[in-house]
Amino acid sequence: MPLHPQLQQLGCKPKIILLGSGGLTIGQAGEFDYSGTQAVKSLLECGNEVIVINPNIATVQTNPQAGVKVYLYPVEPEWIEKVFALEKPDAIVAGFGGQTALNCLIALEDNGALKRHNVLNLGTPVSTLKMTEDRSLFAKKMKSIGMPIPDSYACETSSQSVTAASAIGYPVIVRAAFALGGLGSGFAANEGELLALVDVALAVSPQVLVEKSLRGWKEVEYEVMRDSQGNTIAICNMENFDPLGIHTGDSIVVCPSQSLSDNEYQMLRNAAIKIIDSCGVIGECNVQYALSPNSLDFVVIEVNARLSRSSALASKASGYPIAYIAAKVVQGFDLLEIQNPVTGVTCAFFEPALDYVTIKVPRWDLGKFKGVSRELGSTMKSVGEIMSIGRSFPEAIQKAVRMITELDAGLATFVRVQLADSDLEKALSEPTDVRFYAVISALRSGWNLERIHGLTHIDKWFLSKLQEVILCENAIKVVFASSDLESVTANQWLSWKRLGFSDAQMAHYFLEAKQKKPDQASINCESGKIRTLRKKYKIVPVVKKIDTTAAEYPAKSNYLYMTYHGSVSDPGLGMGAQSKKTALVLGSGSYRIGTSVEFDWCAVSCSRKLQEESWRSVILNCNPETVSTDYNSSDSLYFDEMSLERVLDVCEFEKIEGVVACMGGQLPNRLALQLCNAGIQLLGHDAETIDTAEDRSKFSALLDKLGIDQPHWIAATSRGQIDSFVEKVGFPVLVRPSYVLSGAAMNVAYDRPSLDLYLSMADLASPDYPVVVTEFLLGAREIELDGVAQHGEILTAIVSEHIENAGVHSGDATIVVPAQKLYVETVRRIRRAGRAIAKGLRLNGPFNIQFLARLNHIQVIECNARAARSFPFVSKVVGLNLADAATSVMIGKTPRLARINDDDLPYVGVKAALFSFTRLSGVDPVLGVEMASTGEVGCIAEDFESAYLLAMESAKVFLPKKGLLVSAGPEHEKLKFLPWAKKLTGMGLPIYATEGTAKFLLDHGVNVIKVAWPGEPANDKNGQDPIELLRTKKVDFVLNIPKNLQRDELTRGSQIRQGATRFGCSIITNMEKMIAYAQAITRHPDFISEHVPRPLPEYK
Amino acid sequence: MTVRPKCTLKLSNGMEFEGELIGAPNEVAGELVFTTGMVGYSEALTDPSYYGQILLFTYPLIGNYGIPPLHKDISIEMSHGFESDRVHAKAVIVGIDSAEAFHWSSRQTLDAWLKEQNVPGIAGIDTRQLVHIIREEKTVFGRIMPQGVATSGKASSLISKAEKFFDPAAQEILREVSCKKSFRLGRGNKRIGVVDTGVKWNILRQLIHHGAEIEVLPWDADLSKSDVSAWLLSNGPGDPQKTGDLKNRIAGLLTGHCPILGICLGHQLLALAAGATTSKMSYGHRSHNQPVQLVGTRKGFITSQNHGFMVDQASLPKDWEPWFVNANDQTIEGIRHKSKPFKSVQFHPEAASGPRDTGWIIEQFVKEL
Repeated sequence: MPLHPQLQQLGCKPKIILLGSGGLTIGQAGEFDYSGTQAVKSLLECGNEVIVINPNIATVQTNPQAGVKVYLYPVEPEWIEKVFALEKPDAIVAGFGGQTALNCLIALEDNGALKRHNVLNLGTPVSTLKMTEDRSLFAKKMKSIGMPIPDSYACETSSQSVTAASAIGYPVIVRAAFALGGLGSGFAANEGELLALVDVALAVSPQVLVEKSLRGWKEVEYEVMRDSQGNTIAICNMENFDPLGIHTGDSIVVCPSQSLSDNEYQMLRNAAIKIIDSCGVIGECNVQYALSPNSLDFVVIEVNARLSRSSALASKASGYPIAYIAAKVVQGFDLLEIQNPVTGVTCAFFEPALDYVTIKVPRWDLGKFKGVSRELGSTMKSVGEIMSIGRSFPEAIQKAVRMITELDAGLATFVRVQLADSDLEKALSEPTDVRFYAVISALRSGWNLERIHGLTHIDKWFLSKLQEVILCENAIKVVFASSDLESVTANQWLSWKRLGFSDAQMAHYFLEAKQKKPDQASINCESGKIRTLRKKYKIVPVVKKIDTTAAEYPAKSNYLYMTYHGSVSDPGLGMGAQSKKTALVLGSGSYRIGTSVEFDWCAVSCSRKLQEESWRSVILNCNPETVSTDYNSSDSLYFDEMSLERVLDVCEFEKIEGVVACMGGQLPNRLALQLCNAGIQLLGHDAETIDTAEDRSKFSALLDKLGIDQPHWIAATSRGQIDSFVEKVGFPVLVRPSYVLSGAAMNVAYDRPSLDLYLSMADLASPDYPVVVTEFLLGAREIELDGVAQHGEILTAIVSEHIENAGVHSGDATIVVPAQKLYVETVRRIRRAGRAIAKGLRLNGPFNIQFLARLNHIQVIECNARAARSFPFVSKVVGLNLADAATSVMIGKTPRLARINDDDLPYVGVKAALFSFTRLSGVDPVLGVEMASTGEVGCIAEDFESAYLLAMESAKVFLPKKGLLVSAGPEHEKLKFLPWAKKLTGMGLPIYATEGTAKFLLDHGVNVIKVAWPGEPANDKNGQDPIELLRTKKVDFVLNIPKNLQRDELTRGSQIRQGATRFGCSIITNMEKMIAYAQAITRHPDFISEHVPRPLPEYK
Repeated sequence: MTVRPKCTLKLSNGMEFEGELIGAPNEVAGELVFTTGMVGYSEALTDPSYYGQILLFTYPLIGNYGIPPLHKDISIEMSHGFESDRVHAKAVIVGIDSAEAFHWSSRQTLDAWLKEQNVPGIAGIDTRQLVHIIREEKTVFGRIMPQGVATSGKASSLISKAEKFFDPAAQEILREVSCKKSFRLGRGNKRIGVVDTGVKWNILRQLIHHGAEIEVLPWDADLSKSDVSAWLLSNGPGDPQKTGDLKNRIAGLLTGHCPILGICLGHQLLALAAGATTSKMSYGHRSHNQPVQLVGTRKGFITSQNHGFMVDQASLPKDWEPWFVNANDQTIEGIRHKSKPFKSVQFHPEAASGPRDTGWIIEQFVKEL
């Protein structure tokens, strides 16, 4: 489309700033790479120049490309204004970068920067944004247009509460204000119950909130879009499986709604349109409702006038490219003149008709955070999600369970611990991350729908569909108990497949029925037989399109899924492309701790490179928060399971030349060997390479053969072996199961009791593999080598260096490229070892090798024969797309690579991890061998210090202005900190310190203020109360070094660390990181005012 | 779980589909049509416009919220699930019908209701494949043949379209769906005459709601004898050209100045009466998501539609102009007279089922009287 007249007035090529969402955190994740990337495309197409500001270097939207300038800078007003001054942009778009971008826009409006720099806000006006953000303004607005909202009264006496309750109508919910842990809160069905509650509540709190009880109400969302002409559409609605009370990000969400009548559907749709219209939203908006399960009563819960996580989900669920169209709308186009790119024939002003059902299931990873409450409520805790598509609810929910558990046997593999009825009741009535499984357990125990509904308030329709699955599961078991696979009839196979049972799942039931151990090998064997048997009966899935019109119009959509509810695949599919070879690229599956946008970036880069090289690219992924699942990231998209069975289905349906399993992280990598065994051609590394790299003993033997040193280790199958190993190498040791990314169940044991504890956890995590125990080196540097090899020769490889010493997971570490402080000899040895390993493994594609170095002695920790988390960071800093290069290698071409001399880069790149500790109350924000970060940022600047400060600022570690609170940990750490303490106090920064540190620093002549430990009385002797210092913001920066890396006990230090998180202080818990920080701020004392931003250069 | 009898769907092109029988065990035949609306199955099935047709729901899960009890009092303002007092579709095709319904407003399941209404259906077949067939072949007839049920005896032989499939002969259809005697509803200063060619209850509800008194007249009534201040030409089934002399009687109204609003079939009849022509569309509109544009503006509305015939734009007489056009295929979605208060829309402003964005058309019609 040509430039819109509204923008033509700004110039012939208007410069538009697009704000990103920064590093990924809980509640603001990959979905904003999807929306930002679509927005960039949409803006570029119309002839605008786009400036992306986002420090999230691992995103697709921050790819340098023609017409796009990328600033890897914090999405904070002062930095945006610097870019304003430098670039003189015409307009700004903030609706695609989540809450971060919106807050930033509001601040830029409030501080006058938009006006000062004459920058036009495109999209929803700031006044509307403010209204939706402010509880009381929002309530006022809703009331003025006759929209019901939940009534809430603050009461200070019991008589006030009685008046309030009768105004609202019983039942009501009582909340004690300012009370932690929900003390004095509860439901009251009548005045008696109310008074009983309020008396307790007022005893602990000066005020109670009396609100309408919406317990058991349905939670329903609508995605709506409005253009500048006032044309409004409701793209789709979504119904939460879980009733109101659980954050929608933590709910299982079904699209479209299942239990709403036309009357209810249209009533809420009309309300959404009325709201968005009267608020004057331009672009995308999300409206959340609570709907009574017994009447037409509803209330408006929330309005988000921007692209949200729900919009990304709605976009993938409905096929409507919401972000792309919204970006056209904010430019001024009306929906009538925009074409629906999915059909190519209809216009964007319509509402998708779905002829399938989608289910989103969150992934929590709460097991990675010690001390966190597993209860779900109004604060989101999940770190990722998947979406399943089917033509029946059972089919879709079973797919969803397999997608989220990543076990092909899905429901069959749940740990089926028989809970006592009372425990099961508790598990059902208190929503946690495992409640869904409690529902399944209850159904397996034969509980009726009424009883489960009474405890969970989950709509009985959903429960009845789960019951259908469990009844069929029982039926399958009965059949298998008395007969073999061969005697199962075609009709039985078909009906089981239609209810969503995977071959592996049925194999599991079969093995159980025959009293055989359902280990991976047996499951693979039996599921192979099942596949052959049912294929004999022609029971195979069909491929259907998501076309937004339920086939009413012909569509050129390439967005596909598989189902057993169908007799033929849609016309025109599955022929492959006569003139082109086809590759299947496996995506990352659900995001989780350790797998995030960086792997999506790899998969998208790979797909685009394949297309550039005239291959046909097919993507398989099930994660709705991704760019790879966009309609235009590949030639064909299968939004389906990342399982062996489904990959085989896709390979058989499409004419696949080979599968790319090394771009999507650990999940596809784990499938690689199974695929190879099933006769599928892998592109890139061959199966033997992957196996040797992944199998610790094989890899270790290879290193021995190559004469490369490695930390001592043992793959132990008995406790005795472990004990004698520990006797030999001594504590500490690292305990971990094999085949694990991100350190799940990986721990450092400092003594025998912790070893006992971790071993029990490692056992649980992976029954099929022995426990690996490794000698743990203290004080070593950690170095990574990322690169691409071809036939065992390294084509290019980049050395990067961790700021933190070994012991901090590489996903949590701060990484710098080019390495700043390594001996030339160390680098030389690393490169030499890298070359030897590449040759030894016959690497043929992307790789990442991790090293330890002490003085010039190097050891290899591991080699990943796949693209690594660091690929986008390293690629963008050195200006060479490693994923592209790896893709060329995989299709047998030798990429012509610009020679990278990382000594000669004109700038330094620093990557820092971003944590979501504020979201997870009770968690100790300390780093260890287990990865805990949810996102990362990467920044570049002329010197290390500037890049480091930018990265830290982007990672929400802000410059200390008020005071620094130090607990420096062990003596050697205190000693390291001493010179920097002097410099910092010399700069006029007050330092507060806890007892030991205060004494040490005072003894060495540094002027510090002593503070008490939490729990100690604050007085002249002990010093001030540290939590009080944090709360009153006398301290805005905390340096807190734990005594060791164990995080089990709630130490006094931990209380300070948690306090820092709670009160929004910057915190550093690692001395190397702190020293680098102190060095940086002493070198650049006026960093923010003096630094001149620079954009990311293009790829060479 | 009870095992349902098998059921076969035979198409006029010779294809056969095997599924499960739902509803009554009757063998029936009719034209296959579909709707892509995801909710509103009870409204659609009771919509007289589907008279004689076999209605396919493209959304695969139907019956989730059950069937509400039937309120015959159509002066109730809100739609409540019924657009007439019975199922007008000849048969139903669904992917999966919900075995149970738990909605607060539900009285029975879809299956039980269809049995009560003596209407058969087939479930468990590839509805998306069927939509492709209907879309590409334009007119497809089908026969629902329950197995193990006594049939007319000719079931197994290959069926030719001409003899065995019910092809709507229009006059008979309107007689089937129209009221036999006129009746009045509502209270208001102005009385609106409704020509009942199969009127949906929600049109009547909306007229009453906005303050009109209505007189519902049989489709073959002598319109010149009625004492009303405006006319509503209702929706209805079939080919607008096969409606006997109705268009002539409507043409008679066009000589006067009494406001007229036509909806769906009523729109096509108004166009025919004005001298325009209608024709069968290559792709009918059968969904809740049809975009229409108010001609001369950038304003659009999402509408509920169900039609296979359209008014030919080129045939519009010079006194008439397009009022709405479809934003997808630019077909006529509404017409109005340039000077007289005559207008009509192809879509359903009364919704039920579907979006209610154009409800203002009925409201304005009543308010302007």
